[in-house]
Amino acid sequence: MRKEWEYLLDGVQKPARYTGGELGSVVKDKAQVKVRYAFCFPDSYEIGMSHLGMKILYGLVNERADAWCERVFAPWVDMEEKMRANGVPLYALESGDPISEFDLIGFTLQYELSYSNVLNMLDLGNVPLRSRDRTALTPLVIGGGPCACNPEPLADFFDIFLPGEGEEVTNELIDLLIAHKEKGSTKLEFLRDAAKIEGVYVPAFYDVSYHADGTLKAVTPKETAPAKVKKRVIADLDSVYFPKQFVVPFVDVVHDRAVAEVFRGCIRGCRFCQAGFIYRPIREKSSDTVNRQAKALCESTGYDEISLCSLSTSDYSEVETLLPQLLSWAPDEKINVSLPSLRVDNFSESLMEELKKVRKSGLTFAPEAGTQRLRDAINKNVTEEEVLGTAAQAFRGGWTSVKLYFMMGLPTETLEDVAGIAELAQKVVNEFYHNPDKPKGKGVTVSVSVASFVPKPFTPFQWEPQDTMEQLAEKQKHLMESVHSGKIRVSWHQPHTSFLEGVFARGDRKLCDVLEEAWKRGCKFDGWDEFFRFDDWMQAFEACGVDPAFYANRCRDFSELLPWEHLDYGIRRAFLEEENRRAHESVTSPNCRQKCSACGAARLNGGHCDAIQ
Amino acid sequence: MQFNEVRIFFTKTGMAKYISHLDLMRCMTRALRRAQIPLWYTEGYNPHLFMTFARPLPLGVESLCESMDIRLVGEMTFREMKTRLSDALPRDITVVRVAKPVHKPTEIAFADYEMQLYTDDPAALLQAMETRFAADTLPVLKKAKQGKRRVEKETDIKPNILAFDLAQHDDGVTLTVRVTAGDQNNVSPALLLDALTENAPVAVKHTDILKRRVLLANGEAFC
Repeated sequence: MRKEWEYLLDGVQKPARYTGGELGSVVKDKAQVKVRYAFCFPDSYEIGMSHLGMKILYGLVNERADAWCERVFAPWVDMEEKMRANGVPLYALESGDPISEFDLIGFTLQYELSYSNVLNMLDLGNVPLRSRDRTALTPLVIGGGPCACNPEPLADFFDIFLPGEGEEVTNELIDLLIAHKEKGSTKLEFLRDAAKIEGVYVPAFYDVSYHADGTLKAVTPKETAPAKVKKRVIADLDSVYFPKQFVVPFVDVVHDRAVAEVFRGCIRGCRFCQAGFIYRPIREKSSDTVNRQAKALCESTGYDEISLCSLSTSDYSEVETLLPQLLSWAPDEKINVSLPSLRVDNFSESLMEELKKVRKSGLTFAPEAGTQRLRDAINKNVTEEEVLGTAAQAFRGGWTSVKLYFMMGLPTETLEDVAGIAELAQKVVNEFYHNPDKPKGKGVTVSVSVASFVPKPFTPFQWEPQDTMEQLAEKQKHLMESVHSGKIRVSWHQPHTSFLEGVFARGDRKLCDVLEEAWKRGCKFDGWDEFFRFDDWMQAFEACGVDPAFYANRCRDFSELLPWEHLDYGIRRAFLEEENRRAHESVTSPNCRQKCSACGAARLNGGHCDAIQ
Repeated sequence: MQFNEVRIFFTKTGMAKYISHLDLMRCMTRALRRAQIPLWYTEGYNPHLFMTFARPLPLGVESLCESMDIRLVGEMTFREMKTRLSDALPRDITVVRVAKPVHKPTEIAFADYEMQLYTDDPAALLQAMETRFAADTLPVLKKAKQGKRRVEKETDIKPNILAFDLAQHDDGVTLTVRVTAGDQNNVSPALLLDALTENAPVAVKHTDILKRRVLLANGEAFC
């Protein structure tokens, strides 16, 4: 029997995004499960299906006989239009059932610009947007992922946030929900018990008050809520669940390959990088585990590419053991091994040799800043010599194009630092022509990609003002005037989207109304330039009497209570303050392997951190 | 390198009709790899496995008669291959038969389709379609390329229809039709439907198109 919505697929773009039925997708009998979980990714199928966290939690929940996890993505605009016109609610791909029939509607919050899609998806699923308007026990709307470290701009819409890693807490929450469903509990009774689980944040259980100037006065817990919610941390990555099977999409998605996670956390402590702090402490998988999981995934999916996943793959302490292990079977199976996130400074000759055995792709370096002074300020411990040395090595190895990633608008940045971006790119170009063995008749391309810096919670820059759009425009102009070679191609992000990202990254609960207002004005897919409606956003701020610059461009004092401080990510505030001071003095800090800076993250992991051997 | 050519006959039905040809090739590649069939890879800097389809199936059309050819470098029985590949394929794609290829895909001359047209007024639709069939010509607008330009060209497909049958049901009309197929004079089922229904006084709500058989010029089955 065909479901009514199936015929909507005639004439939409890439209909295979909406059919389900991919290899590895899990179909269960809904009468046989006690909890149904709609895992929602608030962006397109192609983006969401590339996300490792979803694959892990999908597999993890579906291992249980008593629960069924399904996938939901934001339908593309053409499909949404047809769905709304025909009264078809947002459905999950495996069963085709509307999300309103589910017990748990879980959103992964990967970036701030997907928030409007969260509201749009709830609305398209006929689920009331606000937590207080959902009075029944289920559906419960829950959220996790990196943005759960400051979920306050979404606090009114969600019943529960799960800061930290989800493998354990997801199962604990499902167990609890099953017990309460059987007891016939109310939503409040369930939430009271849920708030007692470590790593469960029930936003409705906190009263928030503000000073007259709009800054936060107090966040007061009530009911069963703890004063501070500790993020969850998985202690042992060798024994934690990792999927043996991925859902293998039909359509070409952004990252369409097998992925093997090698470690969590990062030893580097780059001061601008939120991921480098919120995923601490360092926990590594053994190379045997990685190799075994990689092989199993390639066999079950049929993928011809395996990618190693971490924040900085060359910092994996067993990388030199793992690569030969992978290369002992992958090439025979016609499988390509790819290593993203390599760093410039420890890109050794032997690693280069191993890399040559796998397929040659582009080389990407991330110096992040144009001058040594600014690189020191952001603690990107990479020197110009290292960048140029590695580039020269790569050119000798036959590469003819190099990508350089930079940021603009970093704290303490001057126009001199901006010009330094162009100068460094020029030196890389020169390095190519200094190579005596350069391939004949081939030029070099140095692509410079410049992102606008957005200060984020739980980083040493969480107090810093973000550059205004005008300041960024001026710096971009200066950069263009500093580039004198046709071999250098410069691209950058729209400062408007970075501004909005900055507002929501460090926002508070006053933004909930703004978000809903912007969504009502048609804002969605804000991360997509073609759909971003900046004017509508600004009108939404105005309609709600909220000044976005208060969040984005204001310098906070160390004494200010920040909206995310009732969440405990292990990192000590005093450590972040010290790192901030050092940044302003352009003083670097050693990486975690050289010397532990006592950031505090290991406290949530029984004192263990793999960076300290 | 020695290899054996093998033809795999499969169906692509249900929601699999929304898998585009390009996506199907990727899906099949992975399924063949999962099935651990000893495949022949092209020799080159980026080896890829050899795979060729008799004809691409248009998006939105279900089929009982798809086929693709692969090359083997090792021994494996057809029965074993059928089992392994069936297990490795997603829900709506099923292997029917594995065999040694007999005919060249270019020998395909005709295709049989069965189409369900859903409408509120089946009688009116039936009459409109009968009228179109009775006319001397059945012009359709074919998209073509003239050099780099995309142009629309009017073609009469009446001579390409060999046989048809119309039947009325409670919720619509069933059309069974045999048309020419192949590289030169392939008839797109969607275009045919557009041509047959464009002047109909009632709206066609939606359609199911099923490709049932592909045949050689002498009317025998392609195998």
